Amino acid sequence: MPETVMNSLTLSHFLMTGAILFCLGLVGFITRRNLIIMFLCTEMMFQGVVVTLVAFSRFHLNDTGQTFVIFVLTIAAAEAALALGLVVLLFRRKGTLDSLVWSQLSG
Amino acid sequence: MEQYLEYALYIASVLGALSLALMLPKERPGIRFIGPLLGTAAMGGLWLFLACSGIWDGRESGLASGSFIYYYLFSGIAIVSAVKVITHTRPVYAALWFVMVVLASSGLFLILSAQFMAFAMVIIYGGAILVTYMFVLMLASQSTSSDHASQAYEKVATEPIMASAAGFLLLAVLLSISFDYHSVDAARAPLDPANTDAALIESTLANRPLKAVKTFVNNAAGEPVEVISPAPPPNLDPTRLANAERIGLDLFQSHPLGLELAGVILLVSLVGAIVIAKTKVPDEQHAASG
Repeated sequence: MPETVMNSLTLSHFLMTGAILFCLGLVGFITRRNLIIMFLCTEMMFQGVVVTLVAFSRFHLNDTGQTFVIFVLTIAAAEAALALGLVVLLFRRKGTLDSLVWSQLSG
Repeated sequence: MEQYLEYALYIASVLGALSLALMLPKERPGIRFIGPLLGTAAMGGLWLFLACSGIWDGRESGLASGSFIYYYLFSGIAIVSAVKVITHTRPVYAALWFVMVVLASSGLFLILSAQFMAFAMVIIYGGAILVTYMFVLMLASQSTSSDHASQAYEKVATEPIMASAAGFLLLAVLLSISFDYHSVDAARAPLDPANTDAALIESTLANRPLKAVKTFVNNAAGEPVEVISPAPPPNLDPTRLANAERIGLDLFQSHPLGLELAGVILLVSLVGAIVIAKTKVPDEQHAASG
């Protein structure tokens, strides 16, 4: 393999890292049963999206991608505050973090 | 040749799915090293694929030479830590591995010369959000953690095979789109002449202070007091804008409505979190199940 190919970084490199982080977060969200870990996995999906946004911003020389990351951070902070409050509330009701305990919800 | 590389992409996705399905926590753990081995093979295959697809590409990325080493380093750390987050059976360690994901992607942002984003990530994610997660983990930890029946949900993943298949099907689709470099990379927009450093400085920052400025303000007694503004760094290039300056201009010039809405969202979530935290839990339900 020529050396020039190895040491040139393209947009696809960063898109690949972002896509892998997003998909790992998705798999984690589906498989884990701990409520806190599930929300941690949504944060990991945010990370994948953020890597993609910053890479597009850099390779297209447009700052709007990085500005959107600020909005992503805002939503992530709001989501963490609300979701973790809900998790503590659910834990106080059932005494466990298992999400399957709540699979029988009705009305 | 290109079709074979396309197949290599799908094979790498299948390998990744298999390795993740093997690594997810199960009741009867199999042979330990097969999962990580397959995952390494998948990652190596993907990077080899990228290097090969670059042969026809031949475009300059404009990034600093030598940064490719840091790209592979930080990407590897981020992906390995992400796998540890979703496979670790103890939540506290999963949260700590997530800090590693955040730090590694901050390194990626530094490669992409997005310094402001890198430090904002470390401060907000690594500092604020993760501390909140750790507090909730401590608040919601079972006092009777000794009995294994209550902890079984940590040790066993639900539907590991189906979830891995779904996740890596999505990954294969995403990668086949992002590796279609003729449509993605070739469409790189030309530099907007209104978006260059010189044009931005001329239009909005014409009289930004390049050295310490002395001004007089009135104090409480009404007497003028001399105030010296902080001096800019000595090696400041007056014709260039820093990353943070460009983001600030873009944020306040192009997205003022979004900025206001972000403030409203933060306020609403603040109120909502307080309301949720003050909600009374009926005692009888807690006693019946706890």
